[in-house]
Amino acid sequence: MAARLMNRVVNGKGQRISKFSRRLLSSSKSNNNVDITNLTLAEKLPGLPDPQYASVTSHAYDTHVTTLDNGLKVASENKFGQFCTVGVLMSSGSRYEAAYPSGVTHFLEKLSFGTTPLWSDRDRILQDLEKVGGICDCQGSRDTLVYAASARTHGLDTVLNILSDVTLRPLFPDDQIDHARKAIGFEIEAMHMDPNPESLLMEMIHSAAYHGNTLGLPRICPPENINIITRPVLYAYMNERHHPKNTVIAGVGVDHEKLVQLAHKFFVEEKKPLWLSEGETWGQREVEPTCISQYTGGSVQVEKDLSNVSLGPTPMPELVHVVFGLESCSHKDPDFIAFCVLNMMLGGGGSFSAGGPGKGMYTRLYLNVLNRYVWIESATAYNHAYEDSGLFCIHASSHPSKLRELVEVILREIVFTASTVYQDELNRAKRQLQSMLMMNLEVRPVVFEDIGRQVLAGSTRHPPQFYFDQIGNITERDIQRVANRMLKSKLSVAAYGSLAGLPAYEDMEAAILNKNGRIPNKQSFSLFRR
Amino acid sequence: MASSLLKVNGGVSGLVKLSQKVPCAVALNNRRWRSAKALTYEQAVLNIPETKVTTLNNGIRVATENTGIITSTVGLWIDAGSRYENARNNGVAHFAEHLLYKGTKKRSQTDLELEIENLGAHLSSYTTREQTAFYAKCFQKDLPKALEILADITQNSRFAEEDVEKERGVILRELQEAETNLQEVVFDHLHAIAYQGTPLGQTTFGPSENIKSLQRNDLIEYVGNNFKPPRIVIAAAGGVNHDELVRLAEQHFGRIGAGYEGEVPILQQARFTGSELRVRDDFMPLAHVAVAVEGCGWQDPDSLALLLASTLVGSWDRSHGGGANLSNQLAQHTVKLNLAHSYQSFNTSYTDTGLWGVYFVTDRLHIDDFIYNVQHEWMRLCGGVKESEVERARNQLITSLLQHLEGTTPVCDDIGRQILNYGRRIPLDELELRLNAINSTTLRDVCMKYIYDKCPAVVGVGPVEGLTDYNRLRAGMYWLRT
Repeated sequence: MAARLMNRVVNGKGQRISKFSRRLLSSSKSNNNVDITNLTLAEKLPGLPDPQYASVTSHAYDTHVTTLDNGLKVASENKFGQFCTVGVLMSSGSRYEAAYPSGVTHFLEKLSFGTTPLWSDRDRILQDLEKVGGICDCQGSRDTLVYAASARTHGLDTVLNILSDVTLRPLFPDDQIDHARKAIGFEIEAMHMDPNPESLLMEMIHSAAYHGNTLGLPRICPPENINIITRPVLYAYMNERHHPKNTVIAGVGVDHEKLVQLAHKFFVEEKKPLWLSEGETWGQREVEPTCISQYTGGSVQVEKDLSNVSLGPTPMPELVHVVFGLESCSHKDPDFIAFCVLNMMLGGGGSFSAGGPGKGMYTRLYLNVLNRYVWIESATAYNHAYEDSGLFCIHASSHPSKLRELVEVILREIVFTASTVYQDELNRAKRQLQSMLMMNLEVRPVVFEDIGRQVLAGSTRHPPQFYFDQIGNITERDIQRVANRMLKSKLSVAAYGSLAGLPAYEDMEAAILNKNGRIPNKQSFSLFRR
Repeated sequence: MASSLLKVNGGVSGLVKLSQKVPCAVALNNRRWRSAKALTYEQAVLNIPETKVTTLNNGIRVATENTGIITSTVGLWIDAGSRYENARNNGVAHFAEHLLYKGTKKRSQTDLELEIENLGAHLSSYTTREQTAFYAKCFQKDLPKALEILADITQNSRFAEEDVEKERGVILRELQEAETNLQEVVFDHLHAIAYQGTPLGQTTFGPSENIKSLQRNDLIEYVGNNFKPPRIVIAAAGGVNHDELVRLAEQHFGRIGAGYEGEVPILQQARFTGSELRVRDDFMPLAHVAVAVEGCGWQDPDSLALLLASTLVGSWDRSHGGGANLSNQLAQHTVKLNLAHSYQSFNTSYTDTGLWGVYFVTDRLHIDDFIYNVQHEWMRLCGGVKESEVERARNQLITSLLQHLEGTTPVCDDIGRQILNYGRRIPLDELELRLNAINSTTLRDVCMKYIYDKCPAVVGVGPVEGLTDYNRLRAGMYWLRT
């Protein structure tokens, strides 16, 4: 009995008392005195009461949005669970780099969570985050830069303090810039060695579709810029782009009032960006107008011998990759949902395995392309949506000797998007898009990103149910309308590998304009043609 | 003495009551747990739902965690895998997994696929050495349908001759594809030598001769002998009503008998052998090497300390960058001396054994240097590392364990596997309590027990001429110094 009581003391909150009693405890020879590191994991710790669990509430959480005086938006949603995800999203990315050497935001991404006035290096930041069970990450894309951290809900103060320091006051010491240069160099090297050239192809198709402007600017730092980008360039860019009006602080699993209060404290009152001049406050200056993207279409081709891309002793088949792109629409456009459904309807993937039922094995690119032509290695549809434009693409690959046929098959499929849409394929695509939406939103960081991006784009957030219903309303006519809309745009082509069999760009363009999607057949010999 | 203690206790009991109102995380982060040898604890408050478990009459366990959302994951986790095979039928578990997608007595393959696709659901599965899982991710309202499909494919699959023949080619090609993943190749070799002569040394794919020779009856026999109620866990997470799932499970799985018709499969004891294997290929650009000692099984009290030791050794690859950004000493040395392209520490557990070690990729001239540094780090662990390092590793481990539980599928997978491995789902507060109880002394003792002066299993694939000679490597497993 005494021993049990004693043990209670050890767990008590009174520090002094527990220290005192622990000394007592260690001298006592109680047989109840068990080291829990010797107990099997198959059984519950003796004496441990069952935890008090939370139960499900039917309470639906709303997204709250507050705009601070300087234009900074704070958006959050409360959520069930022990953790919260909080982050800073900025409309900053390669598309805004026209006046700077390309790769600035790639550097910012690599230098993220580095030295600041309060934390001497990344390791210190991680240590403080780990104390509240936290992790952090920074990801850049063509139009958004996201600094985010997930931690236990009680660590919100620490998290916001760190986020404000790393976004507003990064010091970029020389050694870290050197490390970033090296890391980017490795990344470029790895990208060119990777047997799956996905990221390279996405760079190429964007540069073909938006030639030399906004979304077409390279997201990955070009090798020649690695040594040009210096600290002053980074600060100059941040000064222009990282304006409070371009920034959203988003949170999931947090109390909105608390988040607003902490955002105000760390982003407005206590700290100001390092790049500002003396006496200037953040957001005082007018925000620079944004360039509108200009869809150009066109072709980007990289001839390369891909006959030996395997990194191990097992050889891989030689492939040639083509991506076709057409302009779709912005995510603010009323046609956006219809384009998403169309993307789902085309689906596709690798020829070898669709990854099991439910991964789109009855989509058009499987039924009409991969199942019918066994020599096609892969065919996948994507829709990239941005603030002012969008790019609908199909990526396909096969052996280089079949390149011409591959191009014909894929172009025909693109042209067919404007013809008959069967009810069952449409319903399936809609259902799959709805489930994909809801399943992705199971994960807290995805909810975070969804809130952040929506508020960044339009000041409010539509709940998932809104999109769920919108998807349900799409009809055959909607699909045909958006298909016709994109077929009116100029074709973009990216090709990578041995390109001897690639038809001329003009012929591919003619095929898209042709109702049956055929490439004009100039090569065949005919007695009756001149 | 007792009376004076009672007085002290009287003063504290009020505090204990108060502290129950403290949010869970504060209570859990209380570092005083660490060396507490106490057996009474205050109740933790967790902001997550309870895992409810019910055992059906025939022995199937049904476990759920209800978060009340619109989507859910439901599936079967079965205590079966390539470890239950022998040299003749090795590969049958994986082969059978493929055939379960090929249609049942009432659904053709196309019906099955279309039904899943039209629900917007996903059907997935995996086979490992000790576990087999089939699970579906769907809308909550489709959960009864999903469970019915899972019941149908696991109990009434047709295993048609023509499908078996067709699938051979698919599996052979899959095997070929797996061989391009060098990490998998190295780990298969590592199991083959570390557990030589025991079924745990077999791969899940099986040798290609078996894939070519297995017959319909082998598959039927395997499924019939292994998918037995006491070895099955039906787990669900997301939007799921426990009582309703129990009712549905009773309806669809209640009729499977627990008895065995043929030979009762027995889990053979695994035996670890310190050994080495070199697959030298100087045309490969990089060497892929694994070094491991025998760890422990899932339920062993030492398993958490070994996991912590593994976290302390850490992992690194070139995209992580370097400098002061690294918490692990081995990573710091790797960057400073440019020793490797990547490395990762691993701790793989099985029922009664485990593999604990390091896998790394480096160029041909740095293999020996890197192994020297790995062993230096291991010996440092055996000598006792600083309390602050243990604390750091513990924070990292808890963070990664908890952050991993995002979304219904990882949670459901966690439930299914834990119930197979531990016979229960360890509540988060208990897990943290146990981890917090491990201090640098415990860690040192456990490392001494499993690492110090043990024979490792070593595998090298690629340009491995420079891979440390086994006897020298073995000599690096101890230090004669004070």
